This record gives sequence, C-alpha cells and structure tokens, in this order.
Amino acid sequence: MSTGLLPEPDQPGRVVDAELHLLDRQVLDVDGEPVCTVDDLELGAVGDDPDIDRPLAGDTTVVVTALLSGPVLGGVVGGRPDSSRRHRIAWRYVTDIGTAVHLGAHGEQFSATWVERWLRERVFSRIPGGRHDPEADE
Amino acid sequence: MRGPLAVALGILTAIGGFLDAGDLVTNAVVGSRFGLTLAWVVVMGVIGICVFAHMSGKVAAVSGRATFEIIRERLGPRAAGANLVASLAVTVLTLTAEIGGMALALQLASSVERRLWMPVAALAVWLVLWRVRFQVMENVTGLLGLTLIGFAVALYLLGPDWGELARQTLQPAVPPSEGAAVYWYFAIALLGAAMTPYEVFFFSSGGVEERWTVKDLATSRLNVFVGFPFGGVLSIAIAGCAAVVLLPLGIEVDAMSQIVLPVAQAGGPLLLAVVIVGLVSATTGAALETALSAGYTLSQYLGWSWGKFRRPAEAARFHVAMIVALVVAVGVLMTGVDPIAVTEYSVVFSAVALPLTYLPILVVANDPEYMGEHVNGRVLNAVGTLYLVILVVASAAAVPLMIVTEAGA
Amino acid sequence: MIAGDLIDVEVRDADGERLGYVVDLRLVLDRPPEAGAVLAGARLHGLVVSPRTRTSFLGYERTSVRAPWPIAQLLRRRHRGSFLVHWPDVASVPSLDATRRGKGAIVVLRRGFDRYDPALT
Repeated sequence: MSTGLLPEPDQPGRVVDAELHLLDRQVLDVDGEPVCTVDDLELGAVGDDPDIDRPLAGDTTVVVTALLSGPVLGGVVGGRPDSSRRHRIAWRYVTDIGTAVHLGAHGEQFSATWVERWLRERVFSRIPGGRHDPEADE
Repeated sequence: MRGPLAVALGILTAIGGFLDAGDLVTNAVVGSRFGLTLAWVVVMGVIGICVFAHMSGKVAAVSGRATFEIIRERLGPRAAGANLVASLAVTVLTLTAEIGGMALALQLASSVERRLWMPVAALAVWLVLWRVRFQVMENVTGLLGLTLIGFAVALYLLGPDWGELARQTLQPAVPPSEGAAVYWYFAIALLGAAMTPYEVFFFSSGGVEERWTVKDLATSRLNVFVGFPFGGVLSIAIAGCAAVVLLPLGIEVDAMSQIVLPVAQAGGPLLLAVVIVGLVSATTGAALETALSAGYTLSQYLGWSWGKFRRPAEAARFHVAMIVALVVAVGVLMTGVDPIAVTEYSVVFSAVALPLTYLPILVVANDPEYMGEHVNGRVLNAVGTLYLVILVVASAAAVPLMIVTEAGA
Repeated sequence: MIAGDLIDVEVRDADGERLGYVVDLRLVLDRPPEAGAVLAGARLHGLVVSPRTRTSFLGYERTSVRAPWPIAQLLRRRHRGSFLVHWPDVASVPSLDATRRGKGAIVVLRRGFDRYDPALT
C-alpha cells in the first residue's frame, strides 16, 4: 500500500479483520434463521474466566471469546454500553464467516432472541393466522 | 420463470416508486406548470434506479443479503443508523399518503366520511401483510396497476402537438412563468422520487422473499429493465396529460381528483373507470411496498428475522414494525393534515438517505467476497459512480432550494 | 475487554506522539478449536492504525478490491500511511474507566514497535 512498511509474514490460519468481516454482519443459526447482528466482540485472555472484564495488552495472548449483540445504539450515543445489556454468543458456536456469520446451533438457545421468542409465544401465536404458513397452499 | 408474472416484482416496485399518491400529484403538478420540460429528469431517474436496483437485486441473488443488511455491514451502526432514520421517515410519510389516498378513494365510492375509512384502509393493508402470500400480493397489485396505461392512452387520444411535446422534452428550458429555483427544486424532487430508497429495499428483499439465487439473475435483470421504464413512461404520460389539458387553461393541480380530468376529457367514462382502478391499486400497492419496506429496513438493520415467506410468529418483530408503521400513518392522518402535502418533506430525508443507500450498494456490488465472478463491470461502475456524484450534489442543493422556493410554492 | 474498547481509539507511541487511530482489529484463526467447536480460535494478531481518520476503509484495504476506481482511490488516499502493529507491540490499552466514560482513551505502543503492511488480499 505504501513504502517503508515491513511485509506481513504469512499466518498459520485464516486472517479476518474484525470491522470488515465480523462487526455489523447478520448472524444466522444452523437452519439459516436470523439470530442478531454482531454488535461487538468480547475479547479475553486465554484461560481467563469469561466473566472477567479487564483491559489486556500485548503481553497477553488475546482471543475472541464471544460475539456480542445489543444495544447497538450504545455505541452511537458514545461511551460503553453496560455489559448486563449485552447478549453473548460464545465463539465456539461460530462455524463459518462469510457474507453472514453462521452458527452451529439453534437461535432459540441464545438470549439474543428472547424478545422474538416472547412475542412469538405470548402474542403472535394467539392472533388468528399467526402460525399460518404463507407458502402453504390455501 | 413464471411467464409475464415474473416481472410483477419489478412492476410493483416501480409503481410504489413512480406512481404512489404523492408522485401521482407531483407528476400532474409538474405537467400543469412546466409542461414536459422536466421529462428529462424522469428519464435520468429511470436510468439511475435501473442501475442501482439491478445491483441490489444482483447482490441479493448472489449472496442472499438484502440491501439494508449490506448498508449496516459496510457503513457501521452510526451512518447506517442515520440512513435508517431518514429512510424510515420517507417510507412512513409515503405510507401515510397512501393510506390517505385509499381512504379518499373509498370516500368517493361511498360518500362516507374519509376519516372513518382511514383505519379501515390500514386494516386492509395489514390483513394482506399478515395473511397473503408475497407472490399473490405482487401479482395482483402489479397486474391491476397495469391499467394505469390508461394515462398513456389518454395522452394519445388527446391528439397533442407531438412536435411541441418533443421540443419541450429534448430542448428543456425554464418556462417564462416560473423561476429557475422552482424549476430546479422540482427537478430534484422528481429525481428523488424516481430513485427513492425504499424501492431498492423492497426490490432486494422481494428477491430474498422469492428465494432468488445466481440462477435468477436474468429474472432480476428483466424485472428491473421492464418495471422501472414502465413506471417512468407512465409518470411522463401523467405529466403529459396535465401539460396538454391543464397547462393551457392555467389550472394548477392541487388535489388528486384533478389528475384524472384529462383522462375523462380524452377517453370518457370507460377510460376514466379503468384509470381509477389503476389509481386505487397503485395506491394500495405503494402502501404495501412502503409498509413492508419499513419492516425490512428496521429488521435488517437490527438483525431480526423478517419476510413474508415466514410464518408471522417466526418473524414477530418484523410484523410488529409494520403494525407500528401503519398505526403511525393513521395517527398522522387523524390530525387532519393533507396526506399529499406531507410527502413534500420527503425531499429533506431523501437528501440524507439517497447517498447513504447507493454508496454501499455500489461498493458491495464490487466486493468479490460477496459477488464472486458477478462483480460489476466497468460500464455499470462508471454510470453508478456518476449517479452517486449527481445524488450528492442534488442532496446538498435540496434543502436550500426547498427553503428558498417554499417547497415549490 | 470488547472490540469497541479498541476500535476508533487514538494511538500514541512511547513518547506520547500521536500516530493515528485504531480502524480495525486483525484476527488470525490459528488457535486450537475449543471442545465441540468447528472453527479455530480467533487470536488478536494486531491493530490496523490509520494516521488521519477514524472512518472505515469500506473494504478497500483488500488489494483485490479496486473498483469503482474513484471510490477506491479516495479511500486509499484517506488512509495513506496506515500500518499494522502486531499485538505484542501494544504496551497499554484504555482503562475500563476511560472506555466507560468514552473520553481520554488511548492505546500506547511499545518503544521500537514495527510497522507492517496492513493490506489484505
């Protein structure tokens, strides 16, 4: 891109940029159903308890421990959204990173979908036609 | 392929863009004041929307990602959020005008007070959104909307001085009765209406609803290059009718009922009836398109499950968003404001939404990780980039011109 | 720590000289997968630093993406002088207090850090 830079050595795994490939992408579950968007990433030291939230610098090996969802507007207003309002999806569920981020589990099991599930079970299932499959023949 | 109905999505998208209640009036206003001296803007708008709708359909078919997903992905939460707010404003303002238009039509047919019809119209729209299959919805509204061809027939029957209309179109000049600022204000309003962002949201999401894949690229292209020129031709025909009949009489259009005066004069009650069917179905189609677009944009920005191909309970928040949009529309109408007048303010929000919608589409249509071998070619990129520059300039000029001309008054 | 604690944050060298802003986190999927996981663990490999702007590259950091030409040129010009700094060269990151307040957050690099080519293919 410009001169005076050391050439980046080849890496032993796939190279992914957080902003470019992960953040703000749609997350799809094992059936291809939407779960949430990737609103942020949780970073942690290898071996740390996932509940520990601490700044980490170059002396520690850092890995992505989870995808985080909501509240997206926290980042718009400024300051850091409260961690209790974020939903975690552990990195081990991620199976593929493409134009969407794919999970190997059902969306129902993640807290990120609780509003959707609540509306489905408490409200929409009770409205006539709420469970009607629009693609089925009448 | 589903025969001629394969282009229903393109027709319905174009009707919602070019022939919604606000645009129907704008087209007639423009014709009655400027003749066809602004027809070139419609042609420019048709080319622009074709180019970007083509790209958005291509991205949806190849990658499965609808337009607001790529806007969020590429612009991030802040800029995409600004676009979301502006786009929702345009979409809900248009939806408001359509519900008002439907209620007006029902009032004319029944002579029951219009405000009583507004919730009924909104409920009817909701029932279609709730229950009717996407393909049935687009086929019915698309087919019935074809009756708007009556405007082109009317223009032909009026036997205008074609040479004069051609001269106005090909050698446009600001008419002596109008100021330059007003002329350019309407030029920008027409361009913004032709390229209004909910068209690409609806078109790309409709492609996902129809489960387009790479195999459907030809279908997507056909929809674009049939649907939008159809909308543009009718838009010019409406302006043409007004230019031939109303301009010489010095009548300035200010209500929906005046749009059909030239049709009645040219074709009598039969053609008038045909055109009224077209107006009602265009207004209904635009209401469906804008209500769905409100649901699509919000759901895609926030990563919710969406689409009419799912059971409503499986896309609960998407349906809640559409219900809220309809409730807001009825609420605005209940205050007694003129539903057509509110769409004039769309120009302001379009100024924000247009560049922030078309830039990410152009960028992602060039991204090999999305598009593989189907990335844009040079010509498409050159035209797309040119339009992006035009849109940025038009957006920057829109608000000052609106203030100076008092919204074209 | 979350990615948002680092992205957009000002970067300084050991002498306090401003170098730019973190515009992206470079991850390498080279950690052994956790039990039951399909994908490798994602290691934070480095920070992409852009000297003048916090805005995104819109994807044009990849050398394979060059069109449309005017947009690619514009973004590459805005991000001229960008570099990748490897994670071990990061001396300190913003404290939790600074990130919560959203003010005064800085990333400081180690003395003698190296600048690598940030381009992706």
